[in-house]
Amino acid sequence: MSISEGQLNTTENHSQIPGSFGKMKLQSWLNKSLKVDMSDGRVLIGSFLCTDRDANLILGSCTEYINPKVCGFNEEPRILGLVMVPGRHIVSIHLDNSQGISNDDTLAKKTMDAT
Amino acid sequence: MADVQANQETYTVPSPMPSPVMPFLMDVSFNWEPITSEFFEAIKELKLGELLHDDLFGLFEAMSAIEMMDPKMDAGMLCNRGREHYAYSKAIELKILKWEEVSLKEQIGIMDTTWSCVVTWLDGHSLAQTVFTNLYLHKPHRLGDRSLKAFCVAIYKLIDLIKDFVARGLVFEEEDFQPMVYGYRLNPDVPEVRSIAMLKEVEDELNRKKRQLVDEPELEQDLNAVIARIRFIKLMLQAFFGLSKKDINPNSVAECTKLLSLCSDLIPVLISSSSRSCPPHYVSEIHGPVMVGFDPLVNQRLLPPTFPRYTHIKTPSEAYKRLDELFGRIRQVSKVCSLTSFHAALELMLEVSSSKPCIVSRSIMQLLFLPQCSRAGDTINFIDAIRDAARTFISPPVLMPRSGLLSNPQAKEYLECFLGHCVRPFSNLIQLCGHNRARQREKLAHLLEDFANLQDEAERVDAFLHSLSKKCENARPHLACFGTWVLYHTLRVMIMFLLSGFELELYSTHEYHYIFWYLYEFLYGWLISSLSRADSFLTEQENLNDANRKQRRNKSKTKKKVRPYAREIMLNQALQNMCGGYYKAMVAFKKDRKIPLPHPEFDCEQVRYDHRFAPFINVLLTPPPVQYNEFREMTTALEQSDSRDLYNTGCKHFHQARSILETIHNPDQEVNDLLRIAKTNFIVLKLLGTGHKHDSNSPPDFDFSLHHHFPIIKI
Repeated sequence: MSISEGQLNTTENHSQIPGSFGKMKLQSWLNKSLKVDMSDGRVLIGSFLCTDRDANLILGSCTEYINPKVCGFNEEPRILGLVMVPGRHIVSIHLDNSQGISNDDTLAKKTMDAT
Repeated sequence: MADVQANQETYTVPSPMPSPVMPFLMDVSFNWEPITSEFFEAIKELKLGELLHDDLFGLFEAMSAIEMMDPKMDAGMLCNRGREHYAYSKAIELKILKWEEVSLKEQIGIMDTTWSCVVTWLDGHSLAQTVFTNLYLHKPHRLGDRSLKAFCVAIYKLIDLIKDFVARGLVFEEEDFQPMVYGYRLNPDVPEVRSIAMLKEVEDELNRKKRQLVDEPELEQDLNAVIARIRFIKLMLQAFFGLSKKDINPNSVAECTKLLSLCSDLIPVLISSSSRSCPPHYVSEIHGPVMVGFDPLVNQRLLPPTFPRYTHIKTPSEAYKRLDELFGRIRQVSKVCSLTSFHAALELMLEVSSSKPCIVSRSIMQLLFLPQCSRAGDTINFIDAIRDAARTFISPPVLMPRSGLLSNPQAKEYLECFLGHCVRPFSNLIQLCGHNRARQREKLAHLLEDFANLQDEAERVDAFLHSLSKKCENARPHLACFGTWVLYHTLRVMIMFLLSGFELELYSTHEYHYIFWYLYEFLYGWLISSLSRADSFLTEQENLNDANRKQRRNKSKTKKKVRPYAREIMLNQALQNMCGGYYKAMVAFKKDRKIPLPHPEFDCEQVRYDHRFAPFINVLLTPPPVQYNEFREMTTALEQSDSRDLYNTGCKHFHQARSILETIHNPDQEVNDLLRIAKTNFIVLKLLGTGHKHDSNSPPDFDFSLHHHFPIIKI
């Protein structure tokens, strides 16, 4: 998790109120995978890029999954790319805290090992 | 038929896209931790409008995100899904889709809707949202109904042919045409001849059925409608096959246009019988009536997430009318292959282009003029065409038979080299006629660079040949022959460039005056003088030929003196006068404060002027570009004069234009239109000259409805 620690440090320098706990938490989640359940039963998984006061969420490299229990039919997941989810349509948010699985991390490790 | 059926399993349309799963998601298990309440708590600390993001991510990137749950952007929304979409096989299984014994009325409906889809596709929509919403087209070979099967296979063939025309014509842009086929295989392995034979068999079979009918007028009419449709697609397919042949000759083109005329004859029958089709399967709120066998959303998932959601499919009668227009245009462009001279072909292509033809006719026009379409491979023919063009234009002594100049090896080399260099600009000019009107403008600007280089070379070749011809006996001077010829084309390109700005509505009214000034003061004047020069050269050559003939045969034949460019010169004189009239009227309008001007703080006329004439100013040497300060110097005097005088002189210009146009023999539609414009503007300016509406500040209106470039002034 050295990378996310580094992020935390750099972002701390930029944040206007360094002591603000909520913002620090949000900063620490940046670029991590989020799973967002939407009000119409679809599930979006993508990396957390941006948010604002109204919980409008921007996810990068986003994939859309259908929840067959809610929608009544099943379909293959679909790649959407960059997506903005309006806050009012968010039902729940999950954070992926499994360690060292994101491609970036393993790549970073590999390159570190190589050097 | 047997071979087709034996192979039918291989025709299955492959699943158009691999399932879109991101690679790193496949072998990764997530450890999800709920953070909903934490998250909603944390964002409360953000201020209104404050964005929390990484350094590398900004508002600009955020703008390109698609908004979920916005029905216009979110293709996956429930309202955009509607219901489940059945793949072909499943639809058959569930008996939603009949694949045998499709009733005649349904066949009429399916065929008509398919044509609507084809026409919509030709308007620049994607195949996935138009033609391939027809489920029968997904697996045409599984179809049990023979007439529908033959029709579907023929549609495949047609789409493939049209795609081939467009791809080889090389004049399409993304706004004209969507070549994506989304993984559908367009070319089921039925040879072209077989496809036509299938249609023929079906037609015969239906005709037999018709003869067996006794006293069933309703059924007979339905049968007639289906027969007409089969016949129509058969003729169209034959015509398009003919046009797509690589070794095309004027005879086969004439054959194809005959077939297209037969197609056009069938159109009224098709339109009137389309009311016999079965009613739509259901009426969707968004997509309108949906015919049986169609599913507007079946390919939705093949489209990129930000694709336009709905395609408005045309009605069958509209579609048939559009096809009729297409056949008419193809017949018009096919005249190009019977034209032998380059100039005549260029004129025809320019004329066709000004009617804003569709991409299919534009592509066919290119292919018919340069059939090999490997423009490089055709260079030898093209050099000959260009040599002919230069010869007919101004008959340069060096290109005349038995010219003594060519005995000089260096002269020969220079000439060949020059003609070789002509190929690219002139073939670009031909190709440009095929592009859509908006793209033509930018291409004209680039073309000027090529012509500037050519002009330079032409002058040097002329100078060399002239010095050589002085030494020869009894030779005509070779002064500025090629130069005049290239200059003529350069000027035409310049004029086309300036005029296209009117057609594309690029100019504001307060800019009109210097555009018209440039046309009036320079371009048309130079064009006329280059034409007159060519005219006198040709007459000179003609006299020389006559003299030779008389010497040889001693036979005096009084030939009527023809001035080959008389008509073109007159037309351009008229246009020059009209531009003069517009220019003076614009200056007077400005003086009377009738033209809304931009806020002076944000306005700089020189910047606009330089921008409008940038392609001239940056590249051209001959003709010399006119800079802004020269424009100011030349025009300030005129701008001092009284507005009424200006209206009156403008009025005289239009009068002059009118009297020139009236003397043109056999006026075509354009001349008649120009005549009407000149007459109307003459009256308007005359009224203004008497002080009519002098005090009103309401801006004049410029009505381009009669002509793309020359407006009627309305006050």
